[in-house]
Amino acid sequence: MTNYSKKDASDLIMGVFLDIFGIYLTYAGLHMKVFKTFLDGPGFFPFVLGLILLTLGIIMTTVGIRSGGFLYLKENVKGHKMLAFFTHEETVRVLILIAMMAVYIFGLIGRMHFSVATCIYLLATMFYLRSTKWWKIIIISVVASIMISFIFQYFFKIPLP
Amino acid sequence: MFSAVGQQLAYFAQAVAVSFTPMHIAVVAAATIMGIIVGAVPGLTATMALALLINLTYSMEMGNAIAFLLGVYIGAVMGGCYSAIMINIPGTPSAAATALDGFVLARQGNGGRAVGAGIIASFVGSTISILILLLLTPFVYRVALKFGHWENFLLAVFGIMICGNLSTDSSPIKGWIVGFLGFFTAMIGLDAVYSFPRFTFGSYNMMAGISLIPALIGVFGISEILIVLQDRTPYKIEGRVGKILPDKGILKQILTPAARSGVIGSAIGAIPGAGEDIAAWVAYDVGKRRSKNSKMFGKGSYEGLASAETANNACVGGAMIPLLTLAVPGSPPAAMFLAAIMLHGVKPGPMLAFEQPTFLYQTGTTLFIATVCMLIFGLLLVKPMVSILKVNRKILMPIIVPLTVIGAYAGNVNPFDIFVMFIFGIIGYILRKQDYPMAPLVLGIILGPNADIYFRQALMQGQGSILPLLARPVGAILIIAIVLIVISGARRAKKLAQVNSQGVSENE
Repeated sequence: MTNYSKKDASDLIMGVFLDIFGIYLTYAGLHMKVFKTFLDGPGFFPFVLGLILLTLGIIMTTVGIRSGGFLYLKENVKGHKMLAFFTHEETVRVLILIAMMAVYIFGLIGRMHFSVATCIYLLATMFYLRSTKWWKIIIISVVASIMISFIFQYFFKIPLP
Repeated sequence: MFSAVGQQLAYFAQAVAVSFTPMHIAVVAAATIMGIIVGAVPGLTATMALALLINLTYSMEMGNAIAFLLGVYIGAVMGGCYSAIMINIPGTPSAAATALDGFVLARQGNGGRAVGAGIIASFVGSTISILILLLLTPFVYRVALKFGHWENFLLAVFGIMICGNLSTDSSPIKGWIVGFLGFFTAMIGLDAVYSFPRFTFGSYNMMAGISLIPALIGVFGISEILIVLQDRTPYKIEGRVGKILPDKGILKQILTPAARSGVIGSAIGAIPGAGEDIAAWVAYDVGKRRSKNSKMFGKGSYEGLASAETANNACVGGAMIPLLTLAVPGSPPAAMFLAAIMLHGVKPGPMLAFEQPTFLYQTGTTLFIATVCMLIFGLLLVKPMVSILKVNRKILMPIIVPLTVIGAYAGNVNPFDIFVMFIFGIIGYILRKQDYPMAPLVLGIILGPNADIYFRQALMQGQGSILPLLARPVGAILIIAIVLIVISGARRAKKLAQVNSQGVSENE
């Protein structure tokens, strides 16, 4: 019997995450400092929210298990199937795009002028996406990064990172 | 009674005097054009338009900044109709219903007329919603003033629950989950009562809490960029534009459905988090049921086109009612607008009627100017916009990334906000891929701080007991409404689960 789908597995994963997170929030709320009474203290709302998320987590976990999410995971969390997921064209593209953004935000911005960082990011991303011809990518990247920096810094007088 | 009306008319006259100055009109016109352009590009929503163009308002004086944002909002919601009609890809999700009849009309060589009819319908929708906004809001202010801590807390929960219920085709539980996760996000930072650090993990940056605008830019901007670039499907543009102005026959056809959808759109816009897309679909459905030519719906009906397009623009005025009176946004772009005006020092809520009594009327008159600009420039720009639709998304989307970075950074001039934007972008992308709606998350982040304080204060009023609070009539109505939402949501979730399991069985 294979009466289950990827969605059921994602419901189950979310359910388990919420169970753990709900327990953590409830615990954290109970252990926050009490000033006058617990009701007006900083831990009260996290405590209530933890209980709500735990309840929603239990519902999601139950739905996920009942609809076959666990069986789906059991069948698909195997070396070759996981490898197939991580080497799938769409997954790879998104992961690379995220990595490029991360390098731009954490590695380039703040270490060099914003326009230079932006130009490097645009060149790398557009070359990776094969957005257009190589010489057009260079022109677009240089012009766009200079224009963005100039317009925001001097025209709108907005501080650049 | 008469003196109160006279006072409101005086405020209205003041607002008209301020709004109809050349500078103000120029700002609104420029903003509306920018909104139209951004909204027209497939993949760039009205929320994204506000997120990107908020950058330009940081150095503006408050009145101009708000006028600019309203212009962008009106323009961007309408802008979605160009790509919906000409390439069958809605520029904004709210234009999806427009595409059903619009693209068929474009393929028949009537693309220009369809866009023209859509713009006129949008004008009608916006105008009706502005009238409703101006006439209804003073009464809502009066009701909102009677809200105590308990009612305000329940209103926040009601907002999350109804938004979670309406904003997804998937299980409402998913909407509620992200809504409450939004509440959690709002708790990060120093507690508002005792300044006790919560979930900051010793980070000084986290002590100030999660800034709203970077989080919104991440959730709507970065996640949208990733979703658009993940998809490699190219789109084909319908090049034949033809005549733009609809003839008398078409105008006659669209007038009644436009008026009806204007009211529907305004009403749905006023429901927290419901948004323009729901308004468009509901109005389209009602239009189809009420039409004598319902068989033509989906096959190139101007009535169908007008029903959807009127409602999504009417939502703008409707969404302003809870936003101005209760600080509860009616839709995701309204949430972005709320965050932006708060950044400029405006504090929406019942007290706004006393602190800035002309604000409502200035909003209404500015919206009307933007609506007129949308009609004029929308019709004038049809042919140039068709060229803009040809812009390569693989070039456009990477260029948007630095703009989102500036938008996240410039509000507080804090590099930590760029980090927040990035993290929320990835979280938003993952959640959207799993069919979790983003509107409740945003609503949760916005309403969370007040929900926390009001709940604690209400319980202190009740001396630790919930029982005295249950006797309050407005609170009791809200509790009944929340219970009904939970019951209807649970039923829907059960039905969906049954449909899904049947679907999987049939596929086997």
